[in-house]
Amino acid sequence: MNNSQYPVARKSGLVVQEMPDEVLVYDLNTNKAHCLNQTAARVWKACDGKTSISEIASSFGKDAHEDLIWLAVDQLNESELLDGRVASKFKGQSRREVLKKIGLASVVALPVIASLVAPSNALAAQSCSCVNPTDCLTQSCPSTNCNSVGRCA
Amino acid sequence: MENTFCFESYGVRIRLESDSAEILAKAVETASSALLGQMVEIDCARTEQTFAFPSRLDGDFSIIRNGESITTDRPGKLFWKFFDSLVRIAVAEWAKTLIFVHAGCVGWRDKAIILPANSFYGKTTFVAELVRHGAIYYSDEYAVFDESGLVLPFARRLSLRSDGNGFREAQIDAEELGGVKGQEPIPLGLVFITRFVANCSPEYEFLTAGQGAVEVIPQTIGIRRNTAFALKVLKNALSDAIIVKSPRPDAGKYAREFLEFVDRTAF
Repeated sequence: MNNSQYPVARKSGLVVQEMPDEVLVYDLNTNKAHCLNQTAARVWKACDGKTSISEIASSFGKDAHEDLIWLAVDQLNESELLDGRVASKFKGQSRREVLKKIGLASVVALPVIASLVAPSNALAAQSCSCVNPTDCLTQSCPSTNCNSVGRCA
Repeated sequence: MENTFCFESYGVRIRLESDSAEILAKAVETASSALLGQMVEIDCARTEQTFAFPSRLDGDFSIIRNGESITTDRPGKLFWKFFDSLVRIAVAEWAKTLIFVHAGCVGWRDKAIILPANSFYGKTTFVAELVRHGAIYYSDEYAVFDESGLVLPFARRLSLRSDGNGFREAQIDAEELGGVKGQEPIPLGLVFITRFVANCSPEYEFLTAGQGAVEVIPQTIGIRRNTAFALKVLKNALSDAIIVKSPRPDAGKYAREFLEFVDRTAF
């Protein structure tokens, strides 16, 4: 049995918030926020290590192409929302090719995961990046020296 | 140190201490100004954040936050401006029942418009123009959310910067722009994720609440410390709001057009 056929949703180090029709996931290890649309969230929740990708596809009904589930698993994988790495089914294919193939075959919305990293709080409030010392003054940084890497330090 | 002052602000208990009574008095004054006077003196037994200002032999003073040395300098304008920023960040980061989002904020038709963005994205400039066009001033720095997702005023003086050959920063009241300050908590109506791009035309992209949350989270000060609460608050705040992303042209020319767009699409 190929373990990648039975993906497991990661549980540890995540804070999950249900949103209307979406799921928001904050990764405490990487400080990344992810927004899973309905399809991605449904696949993620179904990844219990006991349900195969074929079975997850079946749970969507006959309208879902199995490759759609694979696409979601691929994105969950890239977002580090699965335990362990899952080998991609689409190795060697461009995302455009995959989307084209699935998009034509499925009436279920394509899985989408939007992600962004949360900077440290000091960065959120004041970036302290600079091109000249004036930038440091305007940001109330600890130094008015704009150093060689463009930081006020 | 022999001189101490302890206070609570927005639920955060802070201790200030120095071996100089004069420096402590200036620190208290600066903190009070930074936190809009929202300070209540408390017993020093249960503080959670400490700022110490020890003197050095050369006449400089250090700022030590929770045992970590942050800077050492002459206690001049920049020194106190930096502390002003530090104490606000401390409160924003450690507040347990409020969430501080780095954003400009105005009230419009009894709802809040927030402009989350990094420094130098033109938040204050745009907020000032919106106020000139009749919006109620809430903040040019933080959109403050309570647990239910309502937006509270944090209406410090606007800090308007001018660029060019010489840096200038002017602190002005909303009233000087012909506006008024918000007093009441209001629901969030619109999140505008934007930055100034010279001579651009707005291209509005509407986001879902979850996508909007992903955009707002990097500007949410306490996200790492109080993650579950912050996400819950963002859900409460964003679920009924319109979330739009677009570059914007010059604030002065665009403010009216933006408010008309808001009226057509959101409120």
